[in-house]
Amino acid sequence: MDITFKNTLALLQAHRYWELIQVLVTRNLKGRYRGSFLGVYWSLLNPLVMTGLYTAIFGTAFSQYYDNSIPKYVLAVFTGLIILNFFSTSTMQGLSSVVGNGALLNKIRVPISIFPVSIVAANIFQFVVGALPLLVIVTLFTSGNILNVLALSFPLLGLIFLCMGVSFLVSALYVSFRDLPYFYELLVFALTIATPIFYPPEILPEKIRPLLLLNPLLPVIESIRQIALSGKLPDFTLIGNACIGGVVMLIIGWSFFRWKQSQFMDLL
Amino acid sequence: MTEAIQLTNVSLLRRTQEEFSYDLKKTVLSFIEGKYRAPSKRLTLDQVDFTIGVGEKVGIIGANGSGKSTLLKVISGILQPSSGNVYVSGKIAPLIELGAGFDPDLSVRDNIIYYGVLLGFSRKEMKKKANSILDFAELEDYALAPVKSLSSGMVSRLGFAIATDVQPDILILDEVLSVGDQSFKDKCKQRIGKFWNANATVLLVSHDLVYIEQSCERAIWLDHGKVRFEGSASEAVNHYLNPVKENGSIV
Repeated sequence: MDITFKNTLALLQAHRYWELIQVLVTRNLKGRYRGSFLGVYWSLLNPLVMTGLYTAIFGTAFSQYYDNSIPKYVLAVFTGLIILNFFSTSTMQGLSSVVGNGALLNKIRVPISIFPVSIVAANIFQFVVGALPLLVIVTLFTSGNILNVLALSFPLLGLIFLCMGVSFLVSALYVSFRDLPYFYELLVFALTIATPIFYPPEILPEKIRPLLLLNPLLPVIESIRQIALSGKLPDFTLIGNACIGGVVMLIIGWSFFRWKQSQFMDLL
Repeated sequence: MTEAIQLTNVSLLRRTQEEFSYDLKKTVLSFIEGKYRAPSKRLTLDQVDFTIGVGEKVGIIGANGSGKSTLLKVISGILQPSSGNVYVSGKIAPLIELGAGFDPDLSVRDNIIYYGVLLGFSRKEMKKKANSILDFAELEDYALAPVKSLSSGMVSRLGFAIATDVQPDILILDEVLSVGDQSFKDKCKQRIGKFWNANATVLLVSHDLVYIEQSCERAIWLDHGKVRFEGSASEAVNHYLNPVKENGSIV
């Protein structure tokens, strides 16, 4: 009987968590778009403009690495950019999510982890409505296989785990280190340059290439490009790498968050 | 007597404000220079131990900084005690700094749902209750206006209306009756009176000692995070006032 009681309690808590995520995501999206549903598509403006810009500048020079095809270069840049954008916006917003709700946490009892989670959830919603349909269309077009479309969900899940883990980590750090955004922005900028998004990884010198393995975004981008753009069946090694990287980051971030959590309330 | 709230040896250590480093650059540099010190902590609640039965009205008195609000936050579950146990049975309505959780950009109606869910109600419940809350807060005309366009009095009214729309088992009052204009104050008093009579457990923090003596059966005197006295309200007030008088200052 004790066990059934514990189960109902856990169920109640899970339900409350879910309710909280819904209102927080609604609040987040409403705040961002002020009631206009089309506002979600503004999030596509950035990757589209940047793709155009990179293509205009580097397209001709790099197209030799993409079977001498500018459209292939365009698609590679675009897929890379939507993934990078998802990562940078969700983790940058995630960073301030705990501190930004500090006043609220001092008045009402709410599970603290709800804030970074709801930020990532709001970005997932935006991604699903905005960029994902484009990615699905491209995948169908190049592979003609519904299997590839379904397989997209695995590296994307890896990406979500990765963002969640990083958000947990940086939001916890930001509680004690209020100058963190400055350093984190620098880090994200470095990552933007260090990730082969607008250039092919082949142009890197041999000596530097192993360093790419340190980049947690790379397995996700490689896997999604392979599934969406190569026209071949999904490569499970790449999918595996993307998922493992995400899970590892999630475990690190969550453990750190749990470890630091007891100190949060003194500093908010 | 069934207990509504039970605190066993509750202590709470908090970091002292002036030690906050808040800065990655400074922390790293102080490590390099070997000047880094672990932040110091202060005991804000010290072995607090009491039981409050269902339906009891208890006042908490004490000087500023004696830990009264901290105690309420521990009971509400906002702060976790460093040691000891807090047992609370029933639904709490913590009326601590009303309206602090609103999102200024969302409309009043959206905020009712948002704030209600934060307080532990479901979205469905809140959608149903939205109209009666707007009605009580006298804000029907503002349902679609963003909360930032309301006056501060209106915001407190909204907060009070949401937090008290349902009969709570435990009501926590932290000097909140200074809400809104006179007519709304009367309305608040009426509603609280209704809870009061409906066998709700009430915890009241106030500097208005007369009010405490009149409305509470029991009172707890907190001093530097310790329970100095626990007993009937008038005795507690006397004990609290006496040392203050002995020190030569008049309250």
